Amino acid sequence: MFRYIVKRLIGIIPIIFIVSLLIFFFIHLVPGDPVRLAAGKEATLEEITRVRQELGLDKPLAVQYLNYMKNLFTGNLGHSLKTGLPISDMFENRYEISLKLTFMSLGWALVLGLVIGTISAVFRNKWPDFLGMLTAISGISLPGFWLGLILIQVFSVQLGWFPTGGTDSWKSYVLPSITLGAGIMSMLARFTRSSLLETLKEDFIRTGRAKGLKESVVVRKHALKNSMFPVVTIAGLQFGFLLGGSVVVETVFSIPGMGRLLIDSIAFRDYPVVQAVILLFSLEFILVNLLVDILYKALNPKIRFDS
Amino acid sequence: MKKVSYFRAASVFLFSVALLIGCSSGNSPTSSGNSAAPSTSTAQETPSTKKDELVVAVNENFITMDPQNTGDALSSGVQTSMYEGLMIYDKDLKLIPGLATEYSANPEATEYTFKLRQNVKFHDGPPFNAEAVKINFDRMSNQENNLRAYRNYKYIKSTEVVDEYTVKVTLNQPFSAMINKFTTGIISPQALEKYGKDIAKNPVGTGPYKFVEWVQGDHLTVELNPDHWNKGAAKVAKITYKPVPENGSRVAMLKTGEADVIYPLPEQQVETLSGAEGVKVERTPSTITRYVSINMVKKPFDDPRVRQAINYAVDKDAFIKVVKAGYGAKLESLMSPTIAHYAKQGEYEYNVEKAKQLLKEAGYENGFSTEIWGNTNSDTMKGMQFIQQQLQKVGITVDVKSMEEATLSDEIYNIKSPEEAKMQMWYVSWSSADPDNAMRSLFSSENFPPAGANTAFYKNDLVDKSIKEATQSSDQAKQKELYGIVQENVFKEAPWIFLAVDEILYGKRSNVDGVYITPSGGIYVREAEIK
Repeated sequence: MFRYIVKRLIGIIPIIFIVSLLIFFFIHLVPGDPVRLAAGKEATLEEITRVRQELGLDKPLAVQYLNYMKNLFTGNLGHSLKTGLPISDMFENRYEISLKLTFMSLGWALVLGLVIGTISAVFRNKWPDFLGMLTAISGISLPGFWLGLILIQVFSVQLGWFPTGGTDSWKSYVLPSITLGAGIMSMLARFTRSSLLETLKEDFIRTGRAKGLKESVVVRKHALKNSMFPVVTIAGLQFGFLLGGSVVVETVFSIPGMGRLLIDSIAFRDYPVVQAVILLFSLEFILVNLLVDILYKALNPKIRFDS
Repeated sequence: MKKVSYFRAASVFLFSVALLIGCSSGNSPTSSGNSAAPSTSTAQETPSTKKDELVVAVNENFITMDPQNTGDALSSGVQTSMYEGLMIYDKDLKLIPGLATEYSANPEATEYTFKLRQNVKFHDGPPFNAEAVKINFDRMSNQENNLRAYRNYKYIKSTEVVDEYTVKVTLNQPFSAMINKFTTGIISPQALEKYGKDIAKNPVGTGPYKFVEWVQGDHLTVELNPDHWNKGAAKVAKITYKPVPENGSRVAMLKTGEADVIYPLPEQQVETLSGAEGVKVERTPSTITRYVSINMVKKPFDDPRVRQAINYAVDKDAFIKVVKAGYGAKLESLMSPTIAHYAKQGEYEYNVEKAKQLLKEAGYENGFSTEIWGNTNSDTMKGMQFIQQQLQKVGITVDVKSMEEATLSDEIYNIKSPEEAKMQMWYVSWSSADPDNAMRSLFSSENFPPAGANTAFYKNDLVDKSIKEATQSSDQAKQKELYGIVQENVFKEAPWIFLAVDEILYGKRSNVDGVYITPSGGIYVREAEIK
């Protein structure tokens, strides 16, 4: 397994290389001129030329790409065209915030999703199932934007329990993680339910019941674990998405996370920031995928990596 | 039970990787000192208790705290708490003495002499004097520093220290609007030396408030400067500026008391706030003009009768009512009445018959087809659809094209010659604090794109001459006359559809006093007080 992980990690390097090449050329293909935006509406031609030179955007694309890669390999992400600040500075707070939000949202979504899914499967077509699935459908169909504003109205404006936004204390994260986790919780509940129902039809479950095991043991020890494949896949994917930040939730709750940074940077054609953010997201996805694969192995030791 | 331990190991691994990522990003070597945990204010949790801290929620991120390299209104709005120029704008956009107590200019507007205020100290200790002014002006007028202020300070030939508290500035050409540009904030020379370019995130000035911390994207905090020369005017101990992009969230913050001042307040939300307890809605005319720029090089817009007809065909009152929810005034010249030397020109009264008549005279009895461009902002779309529907009544078919801002700017400005311009009509706005900026940038023929923002390609020799002459005289009466000529001619020739002057709308808690949003969108806190 160790060899497998090392091999996968080495495999990241060419992927990152290709991704960086794609991002670099795609973003330069999009119309829009960061120099014009940086210099402002009143800028004279002379000023624009000067700014373009200073930012190094007057050089041929290939040269710009080489410079970019050179910096990247020395660990230098570059400076933002918009603010002139080092990109690593812009990341440090935002990344921490997105990480906290990710863990809080995914955390409660996983716990509640698994519980609701399991209960629904066990009490199939009875009222706990209907209630559970109603919750799940509501969670997935409420738009995050709307849910966020409603939560603010009820819990901040009227009850005054939580702040309307920001990142001042753990309380600030409660409403946003509910908003962010609702959809994921619902998805996990539905996948747990259907996967568990499939598993409960399997022969080894019948064997378990036949040898007199308690139903709770059958479900918890045997069925649930064998139903986890789709759940782990979904949770892993969502984990990757969440790390990328959510523009909607960050906007509604005034959270300075990664999502808004990306959107703002795209609007401004802040090439270095966009490149750095997307590169980071790609890296996260690759690592999360690797983790999911390792989890598969944990769930089913019969899976062989080295073959 | 071997399986279970695998599962455990995997989850531990997953967690530690996540922690690693978190730590490595949190402790990156470039991190600035004040990035640690954001301060937890008790005021946040108990909004009802009396406090000595003011929270101002605005709609966007601040970009830079270097006042000499700032292009956006919001950044400069925040900077005015920490920085002061030789001259400053008061809350009504009137020019008043700041770090200079008086000035004199020669009639040709090439020499300015300032008497400086004495006993002023920078936040980091050293005294403010003529030498400090010289260092700042030299910084801005040096092209190599590549600062935005160079645009105005390139006119400075030399800055002389006459004595400790007198500075003489000589320009390389007459430029009467220069006096408005001396509002740029003066930075502590000691801090400039210490931080270099990083002064952008470590502001040190002379203003009523001192910089405390700036957590990127989250908040910026300043505290009262106990040594300010006008001690006692500002009373609030601490001010925190927070970017809150979502309109609804900003309004909610004002209601809960998490924010004491919110700006901008969207027109649609005024209604929901007007009944709310402990909250006040404030209105003030802005410097923002809203108009449609018409490409005068293109047929049929090269005929003045067509452009006038379009102006007659649009009901400005209805525009303000429908698009601006009633908050705004008709645009009756090329700039806002809040700007010096404004001369009211009247209006193109809504008159469909007259519009049709003019179109007939111009040979477009059956109308024509054209397109209007604008950004993807929902208000812009509403505005463009309004124009479309109005012009339909006189037989002009308008195709509405909304484009993402950067693409739009590319299409409009990145052209080689006026003939190449594809834009026909552009729904846009402009904000300026002085008449030179309002006229020269938009109507001087030397400023055709890509060189400038005269996107209507307006050219009138008399206007060109008047704008130039006005910049060459420091005589206010003469300036008024010349700028009057410009306004009269431009209005008559109608290179725009003259629509409206925006109103600035902001909300504040009733116990907040002395905080104003200025007509140009600045956040004026020099007299801030919580009662």
